[in-house]
Amino acid sequence: MGLKMKYGFERKFRDQVLRCSSCGFCQAVCPIFGLTFRPALNARGKMLVLQEVMDGDAELNQELIETLFQCTTCANCSTNCPSGVSVPDIIKEARKDMVAAGVGHPAFIGMNEALKMRHNIYGEEEPEDFERERNRKADYVYFIGCVGSFRENETTMETLDLLDRLKVDYTLIDEVCCSGVLEDVGYRINRELINRNIEMILSTGAGKVITGCPYCFRTFNDDRFYKGLRDAGVKVLHISQFLKDFDFEVISDKVVTYHDPCDLGRHCGIYDEPRETITKIAPNFVEMSHTRADALCCGAGGGVRGAYPANSIAMARRRLDEVEQIGAQVVLTECNSCLHNLANAKLRSQKFSIYTTAQFINMLMMTEIDKE
Amino acid sequence: MDEKIKRELMEIVGEDCFTDRLIDLISYSKDASEHKRRPEAAVWATTTEEVSAILKLANQEMFPVTARGAGTSLAGLAVPEHGGLVLDLGRMNKIIEINIEDRLAVVQPGVVYTDLEKALAPHGFFFPPDPASGKVCTLGGNVATNAGGIKGAKYGTTKDYVLALEVVLPDGRVLHTGSKCMKSVSGYDLTKLFVGSEGTLGVVTEITLKINPRPALTATAMATFQDLEDAGRAVSEIMYSGIVPSALEVVDQQTLIAINQNTDLDLPEVEAILVAEADGHTKEETEYQLSKIIDIFKKNRAGSVTRAEKPEDAEALWTARKSAYAVASRINNNLFVEDLSVPMSKVPDMLRAIFDIAKKYDLKMPTVGHAGDGNLHPSISIDGTNPDEIKRMQEASTELFKKVIGFGGTLTGEHGIGLAKARFMEMEHDHVAMDVMRSIKRTFDPNNILNPGKMGL
Repeated sequence: MGLKMKYGFERKFRDQVLRCSSCGFCQAVCPIFGLTFRPALNARGKMLVLQEVMDGDAELNQELIETLFQCTTCANCSTNCPSGVSVPDIIKEARKDMVAAGVGHPAFIGMNEALKMRHNIYGEEEPEDFERERNRKADYVYFIGCVGSFRENETTMETLDLLDRLKVDYTLIDEVCCSGVLEDVGYRINRELINRNIEMILSTGAGKVITGCPYCFRTFNDDRFYKGLRDAGVKVLHISQFLKDFDFEVISDKVVTYHDPCDLGRHCGIYDEPRETITKIAPNFVEMSHTRADALCCGAGGGVRGAYPANSIAMARRRLDEVEQIGAQVVLTECNSCLHNLANAKLRSQKFSIYTTAQFINMLMMTEIDKE
Repeated sequence: MDEKIKRELMEIVGEDCFTDRLIDLISYSKDASEHKRRPEAAVWATTTEEVSAILKLANQEMFPVTARGAGTSLAGLAVPEHGGLVLDLGRMNKIIEINIEDRLAVVQPGVVYTDLEKALAPHGFFFPPDPASGKVCTLGGNVATNAGGIKGAKYGTTKDYVLALEVVLPDGRVLHTGSKCMKSVSGYDLTKLFVGSEGTLGVVTEITLKINPRPALTATAMATFQDLEDAGRAVSEIMYSGIVPSALEVVDQQTLIAINQNTDLDLPEVEAILVAEADGHTKEETEYQLSKIIDIFKKNRAGSVTRAEKPEDAEALWTARKSAYAVASRINNNLFVEDLSVPMSKVPDMLRAIFDIAKKYDLKMPTVGHAGDGNLHPSISIDGTNPDEIKRMQEASTELFKKVIGFGGTLTGEHGIGLAKARFMEMEHDHVAMDVMRSIKRTFDPNNILNPGKMGL
């Protein structure tokens, strides 16, 4: 006889939720706990809440929004969990149950609507045109992502300039949001948007897609509805993987450090490629005290930037404190969303600069040309 | 808890540091043990004055207060068994002073163990107890439980390092115990009375700790034993040889089997593995100690002996011991990490007894432990949703601790009594001892507001 299970998270993850032995080891690495010292917001607190929901001692209601929607899904807890509990997956499923029960977070109700209407997470009307021909036949498609298209346009422009300098045969497409983020905040991925992206990519005849965004990269490679793309033999690369084989013949004398985006690092295990590229162009490379699988989250992920902006910025400040501690002059990262949050959090007194690796390389190459 | 009390608490700590929200009450209902009870409210205190005002109010209004650090107790020490208020000290996390000349550190109770370690490292010093939960547990919690770890045989436990305390008593008065001196016999040793008192006598708000210079070098060896008794004899012989290893750990066969079933480490499934570490300031010093230890391993019919020449090789020798907890916690959905101590010579007898009890109750009880000080941790993995397994686990526990006491052992080496072992207290302590403990509790806390329901008092 099976247990009567009311919620999806329970049907999928009951055993995992019970497996949390509440040892509390996640407190050492949870960026939200590190900021607030509030055990309710740590992974253990979240699992205890869900255990009570399964036992019928608590309801999935308004009162739980503050903890269940305040998780950057950075996966530092699950990486360090002795019991192997996949906290981010459980949280994502529980958020869907909450939305189904009519208690989603207001920030994402709006985002879901915006995506239906405008096809990007910000609900912006006019996409930037980036002065490039779109939807042409090419070897590569460069897929920008929402943050790169609407918030970090300058970075995107420089990345495209770099691809031009490197004589890469790429095209942009009339892309729409990959919509993977919907799965993080209580909704289902948008099949219509997926199909539009797949159709547009396939019609360029490109064999490879380069993404500027680690989240789009994950979605294209992992989501079952993007299978059509993979089945057609299209390979999806993150820009950091694409750039590592190039020789740039430029060198920076600045002290440079690297911020591992959670989506690229802990979620995809990509730690070495960005470092291979960076150490080629910046011999004065230094690591921050938390790095690779141990890296601190920038605070933007899992919808936290939209839903809890003050805490999101405060998490980014903790990361920037580490930049200051090692005296770096430049912080590089491989994610427009990290870039955006870190740049917003940077204090005027902090004199270092924040770029993506591609943007920084392009700037170095431009300076070389100026010298000539 | 009525609204008037809640308002007064808010006045003491500020609205932002008071909560009675459901998510907070749930998160404070549990620690790392299986015990559970929701408090009615919680506060984050940030000063001694606030703690004093809170306890004064609690004593007047007679509501229970359970102090909490990181909530990593394996015995229910941090669970508010009688409801009331949880007093979270996690935000009192300042390292007030590191004084190398006087060899001490002064800290607030919410400082995390490894944060102190990081702060001491540049000076070449450390605070030795090294609990397994060091990355999260707080020093206040270490004091309240008298926490230990793998370095116990050589370096002792928390109690050996606490020089002085600032403690808020249940009536709100602030008590200062001990001194900053390495030697002091001035009056009763009130400091030691609070160490290990599980938050039942007062709330510690400042801790002065003796710190040690960290030996620069370590040398490590691992030995396998086909026969448990041989391993036991090796442990005893090492400990009276004049060599004091900085760690001497045992991993039993059940653990090795469990690790092999759940990983690809392919460890030898012998009756026991011993891992020994020697530390010192010169290579000669560590190598001499380790050679003696290895001689004793060999003399006692060790199967294979592996010696690590470099720190990275040492990591490999620790794999079995260090992966034990993660493996045990993945076997099933509930894990009970037990804690017991026996005189060192009884370690093999105790390991045999654990094996027999596990068999009798049809349970898995893989065991690791600090053989060098006789402190063992059988862990029981069960399906917590199966009432029959829970019943067998409880019966096995009772039998286990009867055996422990029979061997002249003690209920807990480092986790504390809390709720988990309250029912066994009278098995170890006679009525005179229990009576004295209860009198002490009444003297400090006549209204029984501090962490009530713990220690079988």
